[in-house]
This record gives sequence, C-alpha cells and structure tokens, in this order.
Amino acid sequence: MRCANSRAVTLRRRAKRRDVLLLMAGIATWTTKSFAQKPSLPVIGYLCPESPELFATRLQAFQQGLGEAGFVEGRNVKIDYRWARGEYSRLRALAAELVARNVDIIVAPGGAPVALAAKAVSSTKTIVFEMGGDPVQLQVVDSLSRPGGSITGVSSLSVDVSPKRLELMCDLVPTATKLTVVANPTSPTAQSQLQKLHAAAGTLGVRLDILDVSKEDEFETVFDTVAKDRASGLVFTSDPYFAFRSSQLAYLAKKYRVSAITQTRDFPVAGGLMSYGGDFMQSHRRAGLYAGRVLLGEKPSDLPVQLVTKVELVINLKAAKLLGHAFSSAFVAGADEVIE
Amino acid sequence: MIPQDRFRSLFPKYLLALFVAVAIPLAFNGVIEGWFGYRDQRARLDQWLGLQSASAAAEIHDFIHGVTTQLGWLVQLPWTEEPDERRRTDALRLLRQAPAITSLTLLDGNGLERLYISRIGLNRIESRADRSADPALAGARVAQVWFSEVSYNRGSEPYLTVSIVGNRPAVGVVVADVNLKLIWDVISAIKFGKTGYAFVLDRSGRLIAHPDISLVLRGAEEATSEPFRAIRDAIGPGRGFATSRDAQGHYVAASAAPVQGPDWTVVVEQPLSEAYAPLYAALWRTVMLLAMSSILAGILAYVLADRMTVPIKLLEEGTEKIGAGSFDHRISIHTRDEFQRLANSFNRMASELEQAQQHQERIAKLKRFLAPQVADLVDRAGDDSVLDGRRTEVVVVFCDLRGFTAFSAGAAPEEVMSVLSEYYETLGRVIAEFEATLINFSGDGLMVLVNAPVPIEEPALRAIDLAVDMQRNVQALIAGWRSHGYHVGFGVGLASGPATVGRIGYKDRLDYTAIGSVVNLAARLCASAADKEVLIDAEVAAAVKGKRPLEELGDRKIKGFDEAIPIFGISFSCL
Repeated sequence: MRCANSRAVTLRRRAKRRDVLLLMAGIATWTTKSFAQKPSLPVIGYLCPESPELFATRLQAFQQGLGEAGFVEGRNVKIDYRWARGEYSRLRALAAELVARNVDIIVAPGGAPVALAAKAVSSTKTIVFEMGGDPVQLQVVDSLSRPGGSITGVSSLSVDVSPKRLELMCDLVPTATKLTVVANPTSPTAQSQLQKLHAAAGTLGVRLDILDVSKEDEFETVFDTVAKDRASGLVFTSDPYFAFRSSQLAYLAKKYRVSAITQTRDFPVAGGLMSYGGDFMQSHRRAGLYAGRVLLGEKPSDLPVQLVTKVELVINLKAAKLLGHAFSSAFVAGADEVIE
Repeated sequence: MIPQDRFRSLFPKYLLALFVAVAIPLAFNGVIEGWFGYRDQRARLDQWLGLQSASAAAEIHDFIHGVTTQLGWLVQLPWTEEPDERRRTDALRLLRQAPAITSLTLLDGNGLERLYISRIGLNRIESRADRSADPALAGARVAQVWFSEVSYNRGSEPYLTVSIVGNRPAVGVVVADVNLKLIWDVISAIKFGKTGYAFVLDRSGRLIAHPDISLVLRGAEEATSEPFRAIRDAIGPGRGFATSRDAQGHYVAASAAPVQGPDWTVVVEQPLSEAYAPLYAALWRTVMLLAMSSILAGILAYVLADRMTVPIKLLEEGTEKIGAGSFDHRISIHTRDEFQRLANSFNRMASELEQAQQHQERIAKLKRFLAPQVADLVDRAGDDSVLDGRRTEVVVVFCDLRGFTAFSAGAAPEEVMSVLSEYYETLGRVIAEFEATLINFSGDGLMVLVNAPVPIEEPALRAIDLAVDMQRNVQALIAGWRSHGYHVGFGVGLASGPATVGRIGYKDRLDYTAIGSVVNLAARLCASAADKEVLIDAEVAAAVKGKRPLEELGDRKIKGFDEAIPIFGISFSCL
C-alpha cells in the first residue's frame, strides 16, 4: 500500500515535471519563432538581364522549381529583383548591389554574361546560374561534376547546338550556297560559336556571312540585307540578347520575308520560321530547384552542373508557307512542336 | 488486523509465489510471442523489400526495353546502295519519340555507316565510313542486343550505348547513345513506404540512377558511388534483404534485384527505423501487454494472498486469545473451506475448554468441604442441587485440641503453625477417607458433617469410626509432640439429629453448613470431652448399639441445655 502510494506520487511528480518541460519547450519555440521569423526569411537576389515582361515565362519556371524545393515567394522566401533591362553592361553594378544587400544567394539566369557578372562581383556569395553556354569553357566552373567554389547551375546546351541550326537551315533551303549568321560581339560565347559554325559550314558546303549585332536598332539592317537574297537564310547564334527579342525578330522576319532560325521557341511562336535550342523552361525550373536546395543548406560545390536533357525543334508551318518553303516530311516528323 | 504484520509473515511468501506462478508463464508466453513476431515481421519485410526491388528492376528494365524496342524498327528492311530517305525520317521520328536517345548510327550489312543523326552534333548521311571494327557492331552480332559499359560524358552525365542487329545481316545494325539521366523520371517515381527509394548501379558499381540527380552526375567519382556499392555488396548475391549504412551513416534495410541486359543492379532501400516500425510496434505491444499482465498478476496475487492469510491471521489471533484463557472467544471465518472447518474445530475446542474449566472450578469449590470422591460424584451428577438448603438427619462431629491456647501462647509461631499443619493434614486425610463433609475449622477446632450433602448408609456408625480414627491418629501425633515438650490433648464430640443444611455466604465466599441444636450439642460434647475422649449423644449411641463398644457415662449437664443429657463414650484404644 505504502509502496503503491509512493509510486503514484513519483508518477504525479514526473507528470508535473514533463508538463513543465513541455511548457518550456513551447515557450522556447514560440519565442524563437516570433523573434527570428522576420530576419531569417531567406532572400534570393535575382539578377535579371532583361525586363520583367520579357522574362515572365522564365521567372515562372524558376518559381516552379523553387516550389519543388518547398519555397514560395513571400511565404518562406523573399526575392530581391534586379532588372538590367537589356543593358548587359549594368549587370555588374546590379550584382554588386545584391552583394551589398547581403542576400543569401544570387540567382543569375538568362545567359553567360549574367553568371560572369555575378561571379566577378563576389567569389564567396553562392551563385546559381542558368545559361546556354558551356560553363566549363567559360571558366565559370571547374568541371561539370565538381563545379568548385560557390557557384553551380544549369546549362541549356543552346550554345552547343548552334551548328545544328545551320544544318536545319541547309535542310530547309538545300539550294542555299551562302547563309548569314548573326552574332553578338559582346557575347562571351560568340567566338567559340563562330568557330563551330565555320567548321560546320565546311562540312555542309555553304559559305557564311557574319553580321555583328549588339543593339536592338541594328536588327532591321540585318533583315534588310538578307531580304535581297531569296535563296539565303538567317541563322542566329545562341545569345540571350537575341533570345529575349524573339517577337521583334519574328516581326522583322515576317516584314522582310526572311527565313530565320533562332535558339528559342518564342520565335516560331511569335510567327518566326523555326527554332532549335535547349528547353528554357526545363533549365530555369532546375535553376529554381538548385536555388532551393542551396537555401536548404546544401553546398553549391556538391551540386553538379546540370545539362538540359531536352533540345527542341519548333517549326511554324504558316511562316514556311508565307516564305514559300516546304518542310520535308522528315523535317516535320523530327520537330518537337509544329505550329500551323 | 495489523497491516505491518503482513509484511513479515506468510503474506509476502504467498504474494511472491502467486505472482511468480502467474507472471512467469505470462512472461514466457510474451517472449515466445515476441520472438515469433520478430521472425514473421522479418520474413514479411524480406518479402516486401524483395517485391519492391523486383518491381523497381522491372521498371528500369522497361525503360531500357522501351529504347531497344523502338530501335528495332530501324533494323527491319535491308539496305540498298541508294540513300534511304525513309529511314532518315524514321530515325528523326524515333529521336523525337525517345528523348533519352541523343544520337543514332545506322550501319548496313557491311558495317558501313549509312546514317548518323544527333541532337547536338551535325548529322551525317551516307558517310560510308567503315565501322565494322566497332565493338558495338561486333557485340550486337553476337548477342542481338548489345549494351556498352556506362560512360560519363565529360565526367558527369552517364551514357549507355546500345546496339541492335536485325534478323538478317542485310538489315544492318543500329547503334544508339542513350542519356541515362532520363532514367531519373523512372527512378524518382519509385517510392515505397514513407521514404523508401531505389537506385541503380552498373556492373562495376557506379551510380547511374538515383532520385537525387546531383549524385548521379558525380557517379563516376569513387567517393559518390562507394557507399551505394557498399549497400549492394552487403546484400550480396544471396536473396533476402540486408541491413547496411547509407552515405549519411543511417542504418537502412536494402534489397537488390538484377536488371537483365545491361547487367545492372537495382537496389531499394528504406531507413531501418521505418522498415522495422511494425516490428517495433509489435514488440512494444508485447512489452505493454507483459507489463499490464504483470500488474494484473500482482493485483491477483495480492488479493489471493490476502484471502489466504486473513483467515490464518484470524486463526492465529483466535488461538492466542483462547490460549490466554478467553475461552468465550469464537473465531469467525466463513470461507466454506478448510479454514472454516479449522475455525469451527478451534471454536469447539474452546467451548470444551470452557466447560472443562467450569467443571474444574466447580470441583475446586466442592472440594473445599466435600471429600474429593464425593465432590467428583456431585460434579458428575452435573448439578450442585445437592448443596441446596434442606432439613435432614445429620451427624455432626466436632473436635479440638486441649491446652492448645496455652501452648500457642508459649511457643514460637513457627512451632504453632507446624503443629497445626501436621494436625490438619492428618485430620484432612481421615475426613476424606470417611467421605465426611468438612464444614469449617477455626484455630484448633474442626466441624465435620456426615450424611450431608450426600446421604450415606449408617451415618452414625461412619461418624463413630471417623471420630475414633481421628482420635487414634491425633493421639499418635500428640505422642510425637510430647517428645518435643508440647503438652496438648485432643477431644471429639458428636451428635446426631435433624439440622438445616445448605450453602451460606455470598458470591465466591460460599460455605456449606448445618444449622440446628444438634450442632450445638456436638460442639458442647466436644468441649466437654477430655483428652483421648470421644463423647457421643444418645441418638448416635442408639444407632450403633451393639456394633461398637460404647460405655455409658451417665447424664451430664451440658451448657445451653436445660436438662442433663445422657452421654456415651467410646474408648478408641479398645477398637
């Protein structure tokens, strides 16, 4: 009896102690939550080479990827945007601003210039890039599997497939002996792309005319020049500046009745002839996922650079008809998307 | 009932014995059940993980099989010398259909490259390069379908080369590069339990598929693949699951299944804590049941021990009380078993003891004035109504010592008491022998009654004999006393007549006595008697006439009697 009593007392005492512990734990969580919530909301510095309107689809893909890692803007992550609005020379200054604001991570989407600008500003800040070029060749990372340093990201292979665009144009216009290539001399990948294109031209047996464009207002001249030669075509090198101006290029292509191929599907969708390049939706989404994983505590050096698995060919049959070209059945069969 | 007593008596022994008797079989049962439960759960887990690994392997196989099936379409028609535009279309369509294939090479029956289509590089049509030495060609010709070792493009993306021959040499061979990163869609969809997942290793143990793509992109590195290979090696070639540790050092349960064709291994793993959760739950249940049944056993043992020891305690206390003399105490046990029977016999014993004690007391009371034989007789009769007051014929005998007062005044108290003690002892023996009733004694005098309370035959004769015997015995004593210088004598008087006899006194101080003139007469006769003399009244003398030699002493004036009374004497020396 006596023993049972003492045991009941111990239990009661223990129960009391447990209650107290629970209460204390509760208070601790509550206080840390209430005091730490606001300042600890992670901040992503989003360094964008263009304006919000041109980047809307990419940003959506990025946020989708971020969501896959469990982050929703405004709820558990803040995004600090910097828009270069097409002036790539401003990228460094904007990147420096983000570094100064002490963001947790810089996301540098939309091409090699953005990644290079971010990397130039800080070597310690974690950077997640999205680009079309080869990050190893551009010396952004040491290797694909071991990026090294505090930078990693996704490459969409768009730069690698520039010669493929030349080939497709040759396929479409077998009679062409000369094709015009548009390159951006300010692009860090321009030289390597031109090199590959020249090599491909040799294989395909065409001559190349290289036109340099680095400003929007120079586009019209290019189309005007090419429009005079009906048996020619315009091949755009992979470059974000071109990619983000797809609707303008599509408009000019229609206006001057020029056969043209670019890297992004935006071009045929806007009425251009065709495009061949990496799936930017995939690359931006994966960049978002990587940003999320870094926020969750993974080291960027442990995240290998990802290459996009999907390279897509999009053709616009209406534009082809307008231009007087006919896609072969093999061509149409090989297209990932056909716009009619 | 004193509770503390319980803890150093039979109670703890019974408690322990009963508890052990209940708890040990329960514990034994629990342990057996736990053991078999453990084995069952392990077998179930083994079966389940085996099923998961087999189905994961089937899905990976389906992925590879899907690629090879698609490629099969390109090696059905024989090559001609002409460029085959239709086959090019087919190849382009295939590339669109199978996103994992990054490039296709079609070789004709002579091993010449007729078509090369790539997603990245430039296509080649009718290059007619001699590829007959290509291991892909040789391998496919041997095994119909050939798989290369996994290679890592730029040290990162895993690639596999697959080649397939048609049903005859003329249809040629198709060689395809497959980007294994696309297995991710398959592998990441394989989930079981809460956190179980699968991964794939190639023949040499390099990681080629894992839900975390970033690990796959480093699969070529030893450090990445090593922990996964360790899990595969822990499972070994035998069937059944194994426990191992993953890259983070957590314990996992893993099972493996082979992928036919490329000779890969699919491993499914699950954290051990999750895999064993049902096992732990079952064990926990068993432990809880054991604990509960132990508590139950304890309560049961307590109640039973209590029920057993309480009557024993009652018996113990009861016998103690009875032993201490409380014969009216009764043990109250109603358990309808041996205890009750035992209690009943104790109660019976107590009541018998009580009766015996009352008997003893009664006899002791009677013995004070009755001869022991008579007392026993009266007692056996069961009631003492014989002692009730009534009027009857009695013979009263008085005797006392002559000169005792003078002696006692001059002698030491010890001597007086010693003399009296010898005197009464001798008289007591004689009285008892003759079954006379001792009424009282005071100092050296004594009154004895014959024929009351128990009537006897010829009371007068008995009284005479008694008196003579008294005289003889006392005279013998007196002879001894004389040698010490004590000068005392002894006289006896007896008379017969009606008297009222019965108990007088109060409470425990009850005496039996006779009241009537016969008593006075006997007393007076005694007072008149000289040493060695026995004086007898006429009535007694008449009763024993002829039986005992009496001598007539003539009429004597007796104090308290108006007239002189005829007195008789008997010489004890002549008897």
